[in-house]
Amino acid sequence: MLENLIYGFTVAATFQNLSACFIGALLGTAIGVLPGIGPVATISLLLPLTFGMPPTTAIIMLAGIYYGAQYGGSTTSILMNLPGEVSSVITTLDGYQMAKNGQAGPALAVAAIGSFIAGCTATILVAALGPMLTAVALSFGPADYFSLMLLGLIVSAVLSEGNVVKSIAMMVAGVGLGLVGTDVQTGQQRFTFDIPELSDGIGFAPMAMGMFGIAEIIRNLEMPEVRAALKTKISRLWLTKEEWKRVAAPIARGTTLGSIVGILPGGGAALSSMGAYTLERRISRNKHLFGKGAIEGVAAPESANNAAAQTSFIPLLTLGIPANAVMALMVGALIIQGIQPGPRMIEAQPDLFWGLIASMWIGNLMLVIINLPMIGMWVRLLKVPYDLMYPAILIFCAIGVYSLNNNSFDVYVTVVFGFLGYLFSKIGCPPAPMLIGFVLGPMMEEHLRRAMLLSRGNPMVFLERPISATLLALAVIAVVAMALPSIRKSKDEALAGG
Amino acid sequence: MRLRPDAQDIFAGVMFIAFAGVMLYLNFESHPIGTARRMGSGYMPMLTFGILAALGVAILVSGLFTGPEPIGRFAWRDMGLILLALTVYGLTVERLGFVVSLALCIGIASVAEKVWKPLRVFGLIAFMLALCWVLFIWYLDIRIPVFPWSR
Repeated sequence: MLENLIYGFTVAATFQNLSACFIGALLGTAIGVLPGIGPVATISLLLPLTFGMPPTTAIIMLAGIYYGAQYGGSTTSILMNLPGEVSSVITTLDGYQMAKNGQAGPALAVAAIGSFIAGCTATILVAALGPMLTAVALSFGPADYFSLMLLGLIVSAVLSEGNVVKSIAMMVAGVGLGLVGTDVQTGQQRFTFDIPELSDGIGFAPMAMGMFGIAEIIRNLEMPEVRAALKTKISRLWLTKEEWKRVAAPIARGTTLGSIVGILPGGGAALSSMGAYTLERRISRNKHLFGKGAIEGVAAPESANNAAAQTSFIPLLTLGIPANAVMALMVGALIIQGIQPGPRMIEAQPDLFWGLIASMWIGNLMLVIINLPMIGMWVRLLKVPYDLMYPAILIFCAIGVYSLNNNSFDVYVTVVFGFLGYLFSKIGCPPAPMLIGFVLGPMMEEHLRRAMLLSRGNPMVFLERPISATLLALAVIAVVAMALPSIRKSKDEALAGG
Repeated sequence: MRLRPDAQDIFAGVMFIAFAGVMLYLNFESHPIGTARRMGSGYMPMLTFGILAALGVAILVSGLFTGPEPIGRFAWRDMGLILLALTVYGLTVERLGFVVSLALCIGIASVAEKVWKPLRVFGLIAFMLALCWVLFIWYLDIRIPVFPWSR
């Protein structure tokens, strides 16, 4: 492993990759810090920047953007009580209270330090577990793969916010949209309406940008609080000795919990920060301070969500299966680069795998370097009024989408999905499962076809193979568990903010 | 159970059923289904949209009893302007070039703001032109017509 890690560092430490990681983390923080824009929206907005790069550099930059966006989101949550996504809702609980008590500095510092420690630990886990899981994944047949994807889809739909049936329907609709285009097996055009641009399928980047980026702008326009300018002053940006003592154990517990949750399909930042906060509130010595500005209540969820952000790369890199919407974006980016993520990637693209792991560590270090001294700049960015901000974001989207293929068609696809994304938010349909379904749909079709061909049309193959049967059983358990009122209630409470 | 309609669920259910219905119709019209062993191009769409239609029915039926959950107000004006700005960019960028379509796009989008301040908008257009020029044309070197006369 050590040898491989050193190899990874030689890949990541080239000037091109280092600067990609740095620019990614910088831009990710800059966009992620904007109120109301979470990591998924940030990555979709910045995706086009990476298309001209070699695959390794592109994925390193995307990872940098992801970490930056997540940290930027924490900054807005702490300073302005405006979370961009579910995982930062938890941070607002105590972070914003700390800022109100005049402790914005320590809150921001502990978020950065906790994230850094968690990130370093989780990166080692990725390096250790990745190759091991790959070996397991290579023994998977088509039926096992199909069942694994089904499990991943169902678990991520079950765990997302709101109505489970609607989430699953959005996911299935996403799989359906993924079928548009040329059928790989027969070469037949499906649902293309004789539009030549659709023969390659609906563009992934325009879809993501419309549904997350554009829809987000429209939603923010109707929320007056997003326009509220920041008023908090930042005090000292470091921790006192006493604060260090208070946060050490929460950071360690948050890291452990986040690393484990991140690996699970459907897991990821939101679930892990919720879990870490709930755990801390139950066992901390300063229970009574929670909700009133407890530093532990910032340290634990911030460490957990960063640890999960790293380990959620494991299912992607080893099995090629995205565990959440961010990883679905990564799969999309890899496929655009001509790389099919999966168990063969470590062997076929060792520079990508090990380079990415080394960059995870470098990216975390950069985040601390970027964020602590430059926090003043981010705060100034938060003071830019929204009426100047949203046209700027919109034009970046427009230029980015157009330059994907130098074709206006992609811009129109973005418009359509911008409308749909806004509509979905009004009728309580979460867009993230649709994106995951869209990415997994074509892979599922291929594995279903292969499995059925091998079994001569006998669907029992999914139950006869032990791996597949186990995975399907888990999927059934997940659905049944969510149908039980008591569990559903506690999930809703947790998602509503602890 | 008493009838308590939930507008959000009913709308979502109808939307899924309609989408699945149209796609299933198109699928049976033009794609061979094949057999489970040798699937035609219509097999997976048939499964997917069949399941979607069933889920749509489930959402619709349960939505009759779980309400009331009204659909929030639609910000038609904001949405229309943002989407129009983007569409105009797509329509004009090839013919009029990046400078003109950027100005049009920002100009239209800025109308979504309640009070339209011309100085602020022109300032923003000038700033974004400079920034996008440096970033996209000079640094990233994307292939895009810049002026109406450059082809």
